[in-house]
Amino acid sequence: MFTVLDSNLPYLLQGAVMTLWLSVAVVGLGTLLGIAMGILATTRSRLARAFVTGYIFVLRGIPVLVVMFLGYYAFPAFGLHVNAYVAVGLAQIVYLGAFVAEITRSSILSIPVGQIAAARSLGMRRPAILRQVILPQAARIAIAPLLNSALTAIKQTSYASVVGVWELTYAAREVVERTLAAFQIFLGVMVIYFLICYPLSLAARWSESRLSFAH
Amino acid sequence: MIEVHDLRKSYGPLEVLKGVSFSVEKGEVVVVLGPSGSGKSTLLRCINHLEDYESGEIRIDGASVGYNTGAHGRSAHSETINARLREQVGMVFQSFNLFPHRTAIENVMMGPVHVRGVAKREARAQAQVLLDKVGLAEKADQYPAKLSGGQQQRVAIARALAMQPKVMLFDEVTSALDPELVGEVLRVIRQLAQEGMTMIVVTHEIHFARDVADRIIFMDDGVIVEQGTPERILSTASAGRLKLFLRRYQGDYLAG
Repeated sequence: MFTVLDSNLPYLLQGAVMTLWLSVAVVGLGTLLGIAMGILATTRSRLARAFVTGYIFVLRGIPVLVVMFLGYYAFPAFGLHVNAYVAVGLAQIVYLGAFVAEITRSSILSIPVGQIAAARSLGMRRPAILRQVILPQAARIAIAPLLNSALTAIKQTSYASVVGVWELTYAAREVVERTLAAFQIFLGVMVIYFLICYPLSLAARWSESRLSFAH
Repeated sequence: MIEVHDLRKSYGPLEVLKGVSFSVEKGEVVVVLGPSGSGKSTLLRCINHLEDYESGEIRIDGASVGYNTGAHGRSAHSETINARLREQVGMVFQSFNLFPHRTAIENVMMGPVHVRGVAKREARAQAQVLLDKVGLAEKADQYPAKLSGGQQQRVAIARALAMQPKVMLFDEVTSALDPELVGEVLRVIRQLAQEGMTMIVVTHEIHFARDVADRIIFMDDGVIVEQGTPERILSTASAGRLKLFLRRYQGDYLAG
């Protein structure tokens, strides 16, 4: 019953490899960017806060697919030749960054201000307070939502296929067009995506139970 | 050691401190009494510059707190100078404000290690001594969540003492405690007073004020209404507002 899937599996798995590359790059760089922006949003500089707020606001109001299209066509518009994967990957990184920034920002702000007062009254300055008081606690609060946004980003790499970038979903549609065995192909693709995401889901669930107890 | 001169502080349109002046000598224990909203906590927070203020002067050991006032107006101190000042002024808060992700002893070590750069082993040894002093030697490796309110507050006192401050500020440190836990905290504060620590204590515990204070300051609505020795202030209760305030606690006070 799954003969078509069987014979095309190698091709699909190659697509899966591209998806994995995209996922690692997007989640890795997007999370780093977002954390940096999130911390920036809590500084005393009004300019920094306004900038990050604008960034978060704008990007959360646009569909990820539109951002990816923009990324794809932005470089040629300025006369630049950039690899399609890089263009779409960058778009997704910027997009994920906005969500991670908001998670980071609100995790940091959720630390009770009394602890900051106590740290300041010991003579601690902002860098030390951030490192010793705020970030250790904010990190625990942020881990679960960050893992969730990472999961979402991985699944969103499938939109790259719409923009014209070759990865798992693109490969799947090619095979379906050729063989017309849509159901079994997409069933297989579903399993592959699930296997890619499963470790992260487990990590998210585990971190929720283990780290939230710490206080 | 501490001189406050004509201190004024507003939160937006609301003036909270309306020209407060007083001084505290080295080794003196000053208790500040007054109704909620009288500006007592704000006063403390101005002294260690957790809050800034609009006008007036605060000096600790001659050094101006927060600002330099000169012929051309005043300029704000850098955060570095403010932080340095706060190393010398210990503060204990009503809501303890312990760091929940660190054990009791790690909380006490926080200041010496991360502000003064003391080596961890040495800091730990000193912290253990301080925890012992407040009666919590065996709780050193417990997290705050596992400690009672009174125990957490005593850890907070040890944490402030770890920086060897010149002055200790206590901001209603027993107000959030169950009554049976209040005594253990007051005992520690009393001991500190006997050892000669300069202290400003904002509290509602009038018995404590009578026993420990060298001087009582009564504040209401942003001004100092009266100040004097406990005997004079509490026994003769001259001014109307103080009388009203004490009457609220009279049942409590007379019973003791």
